[in-house]
Amino acid sequence: MTGLKVAAIHARFGRHEVLRGVDLAVAPGETLVLFGPSGAGKTVLLRAIAGLEPGALGQVVIDGQDVSARGPEARNIGMAFQNFALYPHMSARDNIASPLVARGLQADEIAARVAEIAKLLRIGHVLSHPPRALSNGQKQRTALARALVGRPRVLLLDDPLRNVDAKLRYEMRLELPRLLRESQAATLYVTQDYREAMALGDRVAVLRAGRIEQCDASETVYDRPATAAVARLFGDPPVNLLACRPVADPAGLRAEAAGFRLVLDASAEAAGQECLLGLRPETLSLAAAGPDAARLEVIATTPLHERLVVLLRAGDGTEIVASLLGAAPPPGAQVAVAADAAAALLFDAASGARIPARRVMAGKAA
Amino acid sequence: MALHKLLRAAALTLVLLFFLFPIFWIVVMSFQTNEEILRLPPSLVFAPTLANYTALISGHLQTASGILDITFLHNLWNSILLSTCSVLLALVLGVPAAYAFARFRFRLGEDIAFTMLSFRFAPPLLVLLPLSLYFQDLGLNDTYIGLIWIYQLICLPLILWIVRGYFEDASPDIEYAYRIDGHSWWRAFTRIAIPLAGPGIAAAGLLSFIFAWNNFVFALILASADKQPVTVGALAFVTASGIQYGQIAAAIVLSILPTLALALYAQRWLVEGLSLGAVKG
Amino acid sequence: MSLVLDHVSKVYGRGAIAVRAVQDMSFAMEAGEIVALLGSSGCGKTSTLRMVAGFESVTEGAITLAGRRIDTLEPASRGVAMAFEGYALYPPLTVAENIGFGLARRNGRDEVDRKVREIAELLEIGDILERRPSRLSGGQQQRASLARALAREADLYLLDEPMGQLEPQLRAILRGRVKALIKERHLTAVLVTHDQTEANAMADRIAVMEGGVLQQFGSPDALRDHPENLFVATFIGEPPMNVLTAERCGDGVALGGAAAVAFPGLALPPGRRVMLGIRPHRLRLGEGALAGTIVSNQWLGDQAHVVIAFADQLLVAVSHHKVAVRVEEKIAFGFAPEDAHFFDAATGAALRHGGEG
Repeated sequence: MTGLKVAAIHARFGRHEVLRGVDLAVAPGETLVLFGPSGAGKTVLLRAIAGLEPGALGQVVIDGQDVSARGPEARNIGMAFQNFALYPHMSARDNIASPLVARGLQADEIAARVAEIAKLLRIGHVLSHPPRALSNGQKQRTALARALVGRPRVLLLDDPLRNVDAKLRYEMRLELPRLLRESQAATLYVTQDYREAMALGDRVAVLRAGRIEQCDASETVYDRPATAAVARLFGDPPVNLLACRPVADPAGLRAEAAGFRLVLDASAEAAGQECLLGLRPETLSLAAAGPDAARLEVIATTPLHERLVVLLRAGDGTEIVASLLGAAPPPGAQVAVAADAAAALLFDAASGARIPARRVMAGKAA
Repeated sequence: MALHKLLRAAALTLVLLFFLFPIFWIVVMSFQTNEEILRLPPSLVFAPTLANYTALISGHLQTASGILDITFLHNLWNSILLSTCSVLLALVLGVPAAYAFARFRFRLGEDIAFTMLSFRFAPPLLVLLPLSLYFQDLGLNDTYIGLIWIYQLICLPLILWIVRGYFEDASPDIEYAYRIDGHSWWRAFTRIAIPLAGPGIAAAGLLSFIFAWNNFVFALILASADKQPVTVGALAFVTASGIQYGQIAAAIVLSILPTLALALYAQRWLVEGLSLGAVKG
Repeated sequence: MSLVLDHVSKVYGRGAIAVRAVQDMSFAMEAGEIVALLGSSGCGKTSTLRMVAGFESVTEGAITLAGRRIDTLEPASRGVAMAFEGYALYPPLTVAENIGFGLARRNGRDEVDRKVREIAELLEIGDILERRPSRLSGGQQQRASLARALAREADLYLLDEPMGQLEPQLRAILRGRVKALIKERHLTAVLVTHDQTEANAMADRIAVMEGGVLQQFGSPDALRDHPENLFVATFIGEPPMNVLTAERCGDGVALGGAAAVAFPGLALPPGRRVMLGIRPHRLRLGEGALAGTIVSNQWLGDQAHVVIAFADQLLVAVSHHKVAVRVEEKIAFGFAPEDAHFFDAATGAALRHGGEG
């Protein structure tokens, strides 16, 4: 098979196990985003694939060839680093040309290909500058050009937009999908920003504590997270997780927490168990007072982009974050807040696993 | 404002005088005869003479008790030979070792590095006696090779520890990026790691050259007259009929010149911080 | 009035190598207000903060706090508390001792303990009070540093990038709690940040700085709806404002050479070239006089970002709901005249916002 396939990658530093058996497959032209909290082992995994982590065990297969025993120079990969890692004593042009020089290409072909990629990334006018004379955005584009110019089979991008300002980051987020698609490389893209992950990833792999906890299309990860931990990583502000003990209901399960009363379409097996009710802030809205709406006190409003993030407190002290559209109620006000039951999530408190919808279970039974 | 500037200028002049006066006095002395140097009170008015320099270069020293043969130029040549070869050898051995200590974690790595540093702690006089016995057994006594070997005690720890710091300051990602581009480990070392540590290597090389140049006791004990550097050779100016201050001053001036020239040449390397802008600003 | 900066400048060096880090900066804060100094690195925001704190001398101008001139006083006698960007926790002291450090002299031991515990619970560091800073994560150190500043009694709280390292899962709740605390106690705070989301979330008013110059000082709403120049317009807002070159013609403007949009009553001479800005949230999809091609349509969980190729550039539209368009499709789009911002093409100065004259 073509593309990148890694199997059973293990890595440890001393007694600390960083990667505990990671399996991934990325098709040519596909972008798989590797997402996870800091310290999850994302960078270590990327370096293990690049051959820069001599202690890592496991198999790396590129285009059907097992490259696990090869050095980084013989794996045909391109990599962009978080800190750009440009060669400070070479011009931008020589930086970009480096992978072509390594292959011993003719000078005129090198010049042509460097000019082509530089035009694509709009850095043609700074090619003669040394890295220290480049702006952060230009450094980042030079690093990307160097990773792409050799037309590698596998592209490893280690949080390449981390160190550029918000405006440039957004610009690159618009440009990158086309660049990556056209490169036809199997791309593994590391980020800590879930929006970036959803925007750039054909699929998203969530790495937590050395394991892939979920690997799915980004919408699936957001709407049906495998675990409560994955749900907390996706979303800004993050999902509210409220302890509850749901009871059986003709339509599924009835859950009560912090004044919310919801009937969930969830497997009845969880009835009576300790659970976590996951309410995403944007699925909460101000409502008319009623038996199913929670009575909450407004603590503070912190606007986020076009939305208002409101910190609310229930009578029992539980804090709820809601992300509202429109006008904000003043601090100290008592408001009624309703949750969208269809978008609510339910997790097993002990294992953290999401309790699936009833329909899926019924389908399996039939 | 004017007073402030005036005071500053005065203070600077004082400091300069304090530090540069001995050097100035030695330069002046090197153009005087012994009698002029020793007269009381000392005076800056004298007829300059090149006699001291001609004596050093011709090798014939005129003293009250007759003509003395001195080997100053040969000593100077020995100094250059010993210091240069020692530093070169220390660079060849020390730079790769510094890289290994900076980049790889291996068993006893820190201990080995510290042991190397501890060579600088041992008082040379303490190790000299056993060392000269060993050298006699090995036939290394009074050889250039033996001296260059023993000078590694001075040069190697310096180079190892200074250059290691420079390697550690450079992000390993830069070398990783170069290897992923398709270059071999050796090329990444020679094309990326060494140029980036260039200022550090230059500084360490210069510093260890000066230390080697100024060394006295090793050569005094382990070498005979024809292998001795200027530091030991200067003893010849203490003659039976008195101390030849004029020649000593001229010898000092001549022996400072190579290190001074080297320092001036290496200065731009020392100042230039190549790694600026290498990684994110 | 609480903090007032009156024509304050900071010049480093002298003569030909002089660098004007802050130029003629003036603004006035009300007591109980939270003001954010927002800008990218090197914009002068940290120099401004350091002048207020007393770590830098003021080259020109005056700083007063609660009616008292402070720019000639020692830092300790200015009555300001500060949370440092590098945390600056005392390494040999525990977190609790660090937080209680500024309190020890005036208050009794029980009172100090109570205050330390209260602020620590609020910032979720109650369970690590006995640890030393070296054993804390970056986020925990930052919270301890913020706790130390907020525990003190001061006329002014200076918070230098106080929340940048916070764990994303805690950020929303902690922002809310800290803002509530500042408002409840009627504290006056200056927040320095490069992160516009933090400035928007926390501040009553924001001072946007660039190149040592104050670009605009106003509420988040004012910056969003009435940016004074193109820099502020494109700096504030995520995704950034869409900007197109436009030319005055007919009863409106021509965009990208072809499409024309009517702006009745637009007081610009015919043929005048201007920059037209529209916020991504204000672009309307599926209706309007303009047409483009969909480049991408990304659903980010709570909002859709739709990228449209139009007149040789990319425009971004944001919707709070999923948008049913596919890549490569043609789409009609437009915007309401009151959502358009006009800027001078040469100077970037705002000419007109929305429906105003």
